[in-house]
Amino acid sequence: MITAHALTKRYGDATAVDDLTFEVPPGEVTGFLGPNGSGKSTTMRMIMGLDLPDSGSALIGGKRYCELDWPLRQVGALLDAKAFHPARTARNHLRWLSLANDIPSGRVDEVLDQVGLTSVAGRRVGKFSLGMTQRLGIAAALLGDPGVLLFDEPVNGLDPEGIRWVRNFLRDLAGEGRTVLVSSHLISEMSLTADRLVVIGRGRLIAETSVADFVARSGGGAVRLVTPDEERFTAVLTAAGATVVPDDGALTVGGLVSPRIGDLAARDGLRIYELTPVTASLEDAFMELTQDDVEFRPSTMPGDVSAERGA
Amino acid sequence: MTTEILLDVPRGHYRAKHVARSELAKIVTLRSTAITAGLTVVACLLVTGLVTHAALHHDPGYYQGFDPTQESLTGMITVALAGGVFGALLITGEYSSGTIRTTLAAAPKRLELFATKLGLTTVLTMAFCLVLSFLSFFLGQAILSSGGAPTATLASSGAARAVVLTGLFIGLIALMSFGFGLIFRSTAAAIATFAGVIFVLPLVMHGISESDVRFLPTNILVNSIMSTVSQGQGGPYPPLSPHVGLTLMVLYAAVALTAGAVLFVRRDA
Repeated sequence: MITAHALTKRYGDATAVDDLTFEVPPGEVTGFLGPNGSGKSTTMRMIMGLDLPDSGSALIGGKRYCELDWPLRQVGALLDAKAFHPARTARNHLRWLSLANDIPSGRVDEVLDQVGLTSVAGRRVGKFSLGMTQRLGIAAALLGDPGVLLFDEPVNGLDPEGIRWVRNFLRDLAGEGRTVLVSSHLISEMSLTADRLVVIGRGRLIAETSVADFVARSGGGAVRLVTPDEERFTAVLTAAGATVVPDDGALTVGGLVSPRIGDLAARDGLRIYELTPVTASLEDAFMELTQDDVEFRPSTMPGDVSAERGA
Repeated sequence: MTTEILLDVPRGHYRAKHVARSELAKIVTLRSTAITAGLTVVACLLVTGLVTHAALHHDPGYYQGFDPTQESLTGMITVALAGGVFGALLITGEYSSGTIRTTLAAAPKRLELFATKLGLTTVLTMAFCLVLSFLSFFLGQAILSSGGAPTATLASSGAARAVVLTGLFIGLIALMSFGFGLIFRSTAAAIATFAGVIFVLPLVMHGISESDVRFLPTNILVNSIMSTVSQGQGGPYPPLSPHVGLTLMVLYAAVALTAGAVLFVRRDA
């Protein structure tokens, strides 16, 4: 369990994280969603005790990170991929890390195997591709077999096969009862990976909810209608108070649910070839919610200080 | 709660000994450590060899005020350079590569981490510099004795003290540079500051205040620590005594390290 309470971080005049309160419960993948520079990385760094909050707190199992008895055995984190000395081999990197928390040396080869880096374990990290570096970062996070995991943009630089691997992997970790917080600015990725969402914009909490709720909240779905009687249908629907937008051989109808559309068709003898409720995508929901946030604070430049420091 | 079960970790907590092992592993797993150490030994002994060789076969007048101990320790000045670079890199290398964040994830108690790193650095650099100081002394004396120049033994007046203190003093220079590394976090800035203090300041200070030159680390090293024959005693600004010189260097290093530690604990990583 991770709990952030009234977390605030300022860099000079810019407020990177603003009175942020949220919870990350165990057993689920919690997606940490926000545009670039919205304060995701800064928040994760504060959870890790790397940056000190100006006010508020971030606790892991009720403790501050620096109060943990065996940090690596309790929390695993992938913050930035390039946190290795380039001249050290992958195995030696994990080796020194394991020594710091007295983790059995056998774990080094186990996690290398788990992320598929066994064959390059003796190679210098500086020669690694971005994808390999990312896998090594994940291996380092898993080293202490921790109950809490934080991943900042874990699919960056991975190929499609790697992305799918990470996705399943995060779900497995949560399935084992672990607490998993994974940040992303890719909404599509979150819709496939996360159960819950913590959505922030400009350092402030926009929503904390399940993925399903989040989509539902974005103002109901539209209905896709295919009909040979487009003109007449449009007139009838508009008269009933709907908005109708022609869309590539179909009509997108807003403001009326599909049973009502079916009733109108039966009344006026209009033909329906296809009638499909369209669930609003996570992306739509996100744009809708963050747009408000942008409108309210137009003076701040997007991606200022916090983007520089984190993402 | 599920988390509690998963956070089932061994009793107790991580300790300084774990961090020390991990820090040592970091140092020995970089090939550059061995290369730097090897090159430093070669450079030191080469300089001592050349300097003592140049002191051979002169007229008796040349050896007036000749200090065989100091001559044989000349190579240690190159060790001061290497030690300064090594000391700074120990910390700036972590910042430039991003390793520091991984280190802090493993050992988040910052003051304890600082103390452990400092302890390990102290032991390693002091041991290395001491051994090299003795090697340089013995090599220099062997060369001097081959060509009829005056020589010293460890039993000679002040010789053992000079050899030991030279090693310790250069270890302190490396620690001061470690402090610069913590303050600046950038390799270029830390090494520039180190080089400024050790190599540039003595030259500049001559033009500013002649009487204060003797308080600078470089001048203390050469005139107070490495020397066994009092040279400028008659001059207006006699060198500091070895003990005052060493104490002053301890203070310099302590100031740099304290400033570094305070910043390290307070700053965002």
